[in-house]
Amino acid sequence: MWMRVFKAVFIYAALLAWSVFALFPLYWMVIASFKDPLAVSQGPTFIPWVDFQPTLSAWKAILFGIERETIRGPLVNSTVIGLGSTILVVLVGAMAAYGLTRFQIQAGPFRNQDLLFWIVSQRIMPPIVTGLALFMMLRVLGLIDTRTGMILVYTAFNLPLAVWLMHNFFQQIPPDIEEAALVDGASRGRVLWHIVLPVSLPGLVATFLFCLVFAWNEFLLALILTFNRARTMPILIAAQHSQRMIEWWSLSAMSLITIAPVVLITLVLQRYLITNVLAGAGR
Amino acid sequence: MQDVPSLHEVSRDLMGRQRSRGSQALPFLLPAVSILLCFTIFPFLFTVALTFSRVSLVGGLKLQFGGLQNWIRLVQDDRFWNSLGNTLFIVAVAVSVEFILGLGLALLINRPLRGGAFFRTIFILPMALAPIAIGYIWLMIYHETIGPLNVLLERIGLPPVGWVSRRNVAIYSIIITDIWHWTPFMFIVLLAGLQSLPAEILEAAQIDGTSGWQLFRYITFPMLRPTAIAAIILRSLEAFKIVDEIFIITGGGPGVSTESLTLHAYYIGFLSFDLAYGATIAMSLFLLVLVVALSMVRITQRYQRVEV
Repeated sequence: MWMRVFKAVFIYAALLAWSVFALFPLYWMVIASFKDPLAVSQGPTFIPWVDFQPTLSAWKAILFGIERETIRGPLVNSTVIGLGSTILVVLVGAMAAYGLTRFQIQAGPFRNQDLLFWIVSQRIMPPIVTGLALFMMLRVLGLIDTRTGMILVYTAFNLPLAVWLMHNFFQQIPPDIEEAALVDGASRGRVLWHIVLPVSLPGLVATFLFCLVFAWNEFLLALILTFNRARTMPILIAAQHSQRMIEWWSLSAMSLITIAPVVLITLVLQRYLITNVLAGAGR
Repeated sequence: MQDVPSLHEVSRDLMGRQRSRGSQALPFLLPAVSILLCFTIFPFLFTVALTFSRVSLVGGLKLQFGGLQNWIRLVQDDRFWNSLGNTLFIVAVAVSVEFILGLGLALLINRPLRGGAFFRTIFILPMALAPIAIGYIWLMIYHETIGPLNVLLERIGLPPVGWVSRRNVAIYSIIITDIWHWTPFMFIVLLAGLQSLPAEILEAAQIDGTSGWQLFRYITFPMLRPTAIAAIILRSLEAFKIVDEIFIITGGGPGVSTESLTLHAYYIGFLSFDLAYGATIAMSLFLLVLVVALSMVRITQRYQRVEV
């Protein structure tokens, strides 16, 4: 009996300790966004109303004031590039995954598994390797520092992941439900659009959200390929560094705006992540 | 009656025939393959060409064949070996610690537990956040005068630490940040692995009176091993590319003591505008990742063969 109580206490203590480690940095950023310049420079303060007086000035400046214009462009860019590339990658990825699961491919010595491996393995390509060449390529094409260019680059960046996830989902769909439609003379494209995609909607949504998070958070390629017109939120945040003194309060507010959508997505996705995506990963 | 094939048989036949006609798959695969060829394979080949080139930017971009000069320079470059060493050190330490902590947390939470879902949500949260924001969060925490860490150390009577300004300390600060960021990945993958283990075997062993440690050592862990290997491979391949947090927290400093391969290649390629040599450093990272990926695939295969 005492043994069991002791064990339970130990487990909760350990879980609580890691929770504190995981949450404290986020807590610090949240309270920093409610500090005024003086409260930051006087040294660390930990608890609002107890050792510092919280203020909304940083949030007011960002949402309604002088910084509003600074943040608007990058926020729009991040949204357009993130959603645009994610919609594109889900469509293109779904088509490829359908082709790989429903046809027997033989191109020379290469079969379905080889092609799948070729596509998925590109995920290991370090972005810096392609980044240097993409910089020159997009400059020649006139796509440097444009949303279109970034949408295409992020589509290629997320495609291996999208194809891998959708391939797993499509494999779980029994082909029987497609057979009737094919017998009735529907084309493969119609079958994919009207039967397979609706049936695999949960998988589609999961793939969409995963790719959106990667595109939204991406930094290095955006750093190389955008300067001004198409720069995204991570680039705006990173640029605060080059100022002589970092304005922690406004930087924290900007960062929180950037991470808020992703936190929401994580809360939605987390249950799904374990049961559907990772359950078969070890095999 | 038996001469008439059923609808099911007709459709099977049709599916079979359609499956064999691989050329029909082409329109489905073409968009994906062409995007990858244009935006991954072509740039990759271009970078390969750059590593054997002399680039002049005077009066537009000009490429000349430069032989092996970039590669010879690479081998003789102390700063390259330094950034390679830093990268390997960060990957080795961070991935090991993340694996152990992730496994520990997954084992703790993989039981009927009040509040389990709550803890699980908290544990995976850092993984999803923008690395740039994470860099700033930790830069604040490591800050030597206005950061909380040194004040807390002081209150328990320890001397302040130069988290980002001391040569031999800064790299551990980077590693701690990486551990905070990526232990969630190990945790979630290993938890999924634990939950997909056959419950009957574990229950049978428990009924037989196997102790907790024996259960883990001889039953749980061997069954979990494929997942564990996959998790370590995936995490390592990503960890080799580390750059975002270093960019913010130390910028590679003090000196070049925390410079990773990606950061080094970026500085050379885009700040010094030495595109050919930057490409060579980047390509060495690619070769490193490739070698690691291939050897890990072989290890996995050998392991699977033994198992079968």
